[in-house]
Amino acid sequence: MSASTVSRTPAPRPARPTGRRPAWLRGRRPAGRPDARPAVRVRRQLPTSPWLFAAPGLLVTAAFVLYPFLSTVVNAFTDRRTLVPGRFVGLANFRELLHDDMFWIGLRNSVLYIAGVVPALVILPLLLALLVQKNIPGIAFFRSAFYTPVVASIVVVGLIWVWLLDERGLVNSLLETIGLGRVGFLSDQWLLLISAMTVTVWKGLGYYMIVYLAALANVPRELHEAAAVDGAGAVRRFLTVTVPAVRSTMVLVAALSSVAAFKVFSEVYLMAGPSGGPAGEDTTLVMLVQRTGTGLSGRVGYASAISLVVFVVTVVLMLLVLRADRKEDA
Amino acid sequence: MPMSRRALAAAAVTALVLPLSACGSSDGGGGTTDASGKVEGDITFETWNLRANFKDYFEGLIADFEKKYPGTHVKWIDQPAEGYADKISADAAGGTLPDVVNVSPDLAVPLAEAGLAMDLDKAAAPYKSEYLPGAWAGHQVPGLPGTYAFPWYLNTGPLFYNKALFKQAGLDADKPPKTYDELFADALQLAQKSGGKVATLANVPTIEDFGRYGSALMNKDGTGFAFNDAKGVELLTKYKQLYDAKALDPQALTATPESTGKKFLTGAVAMNPGSALDLDNFKKQAPSLYKNIGITDQITSTGHANMYVMGLMVNSRTKHAPAAVAFAHYVTDAEHQMSFAKKVAIFPSTAGSLDDPYFTKEDGTDETRVRVAAAKSLKNAVNYTPVLFSEQMKTALRNEVAKALQGKQSPKDALDNAVKACDQLLRQQG
Repeated sequence: MSASTVSRTPAPRPARPTGRRPAWLRGRRPAGRPDARPAVRVRRQLPTSPWLFAAPGLLVTAAFVLYPFLSTVVNAFTDRRTLVPGRFVGLANFRELLHDDMFWIGLRNSVLYIAGVVPALVILPLLLALLVQKNIPGIAFFRSAFYTPVVASIVVVGLIWVWLLDERGLVNSLLETIGLGRVGFLSDQWLLLISAMTVTVWKGLGYYMIVYLAALANVPRELHEAAAVDGAGAVRRFLTVTVPAVRSTMVLVAALSSVAAFKVFSEVYLMAGPSGGPAGEDTTLVMLVQRTGTGLSGRVGYASAISLVVFVVTVVLMLLVLRADRKEDA
Repeated sequence: MPMSRRALAAAAVTALVLPLSACGSSDGGGGTTDASGKVEGDITFETWNLRANFKDYFEGLIADFEKKYPGTHVKWIDQPAEGYADKISADAAGGTLPDVVNVSPDLAVPLAEAGLAMDLDKAAAPYKSEYLPGAWAGHQVPGLPGTYAFPWYLNTGPLFYNKALFKQAGLDADKPPKTYDELFADALQLAQKSGGKVATLANVPTIEDFGRYGSALMNKDGTGFAFNDAKGVELLTKYKQLYDAKALDPQALTATPESTGKKFLTGAVAMNPGSALDLDNFKKQAPSLYKNIGITDQITSTGHANMYVMGLMVNSRTKHAPAAVAFAHYVTDAEHQMSFAKKVAIFPSTAGSLDDPYFTKEDGTDETRVRVAAAKSLKNAVNYTPVLFSEQMKTALRNEVAKALQGKQSPKDALDNAVKACDQLLRQQG
């Protein structure tokens, strides 16, 4: 078919809106050719239409986000237990928190987790992304390999690391072979926390690497070329071209990873055990929520109060990161 | 009439908030204790990790029950071992608790207190005499009259030890420790001779250990804990010595039953409590260990071994109480407990069953030796774990014990703190 044939065919004119309901909606078939499709016209200003479109999402959000959230807020001010309805106790749960050693241990560990994990997850994936960005033979394999931990089950990953770091595991056997002796990765309170952080960083590297790869693709090549012409070396180009170009992505990664780090559960639970390490010293806040609020004798009210604290701290964290970003922009 | 946006928002908020006032908790009453009437209707039966190995047994049992009582239908639900208590609590809070539920005494307590467990002293009084008195009392709750589950199977087990490790440490592999003093002495020797590489025990002392050592555990009226007595402090002091000498595994502070089992399999630990079930496991997973396996009795200062009790609770809100009670009794009666015991290394809780030749005569194999010894010890065994001892209390005790072992506080202070924490949790439980 030639281009001229196409261009000379007149486009059908759209039906003019009449302001009336289409015939088929009024229960009558349209007159005219029997094989003609009825002209379907939908009123643009139907007031319920947006709600109907949004309803499935709204219902799911209401049932699985809003309702549990409101329920947690209400329960935080009661002494509710799993099988016993609660009574309103005002701020009693929050007062108890202040005197609960385990709460302070949980808060300390959650904050330490942020301090240990976030810098690593902001910087290392960027370096990794720069490495795998290059188009060299076989790089696809490395990209996939670095991403594999992201899709691996955290339970499987946790168990593998437990085997590796066990008193008689591979890492300790190697250390013993080179004469350094065994290290209590899973029995020392601090080493346990550091081990769990290592797993979090190792598992998160691939995910944030992909985020950085997308950001790096948007950095104009000309900027690097211009800097190189001006005599800038690789490190200088990284600091003066790459970092400023991906700064907003770094803020995003910092925000996402700090919230995830503050809410860490699986890695510490799997490596430190349900009791939260020796004497519970590696318990994080979310572990404390789980331990306090679940089971047939669970203190749902008290656990809700801890959850509320976690929520407030998380919101504050996000605000701090966003504020820091805005200051940089200014 | 079109609804205004404000009214729509108000309706949405009300719809969200209103249910919060009544979200998923029982009202603590309203259950039935009347199981008289015709046995009929559909009931659900929930078990704890039994389908994988005993599917045919339970399907046959259910088919026989449905044949015996036409008009009944039993739906069997089996839950994995992990998170079983959470599943039950979610069902109980959501009003979907099955009609007959497999429980241990500590799980039955909160359900009984919430009015969800049927009082079988009233609903199943004629069956009471069929069970061992101690087993029937196993599901009673201090301060709450009644019995809240049919006793099902009992379990206890010997102490396994690795003869090869004993020999390497210069110990007589045919003379395993029989008392706590012998155990602690052998453990210290094992650690010393192996340069701290072989521990004898892999778990910190639990509430059962304190009970077996002779600590009182609770006061006489069951209103407070008492394991901070002289016996309790003595036991923890001995464990501290073991920990310092590496006779207690360094990872004991974070150990789980699964992890200690693995350590025993790999020869990192010389002794481990278990049951007749474990022998099969040793055969398959650690043949070299199996060749060197030694079996001895549980060590106890009280003369009573520890036993674990399983029960079948009947939901007091069941719509078919006669069928639910009849089925729970059917599963736990002498005939069916005996047939189940012949399929797996468990012991019936019905009166007279332990006198069956199956539990009294050895045929020279390790399996029968363990079975006969365990059945014998069950006749005067005790479930040391107080029924009121919740998971939160177990964690509190474990954490304080860990602090004592690390030297952060004295054994006496640790147990005082643990008792204080457990008493507070007990008061909060109501």
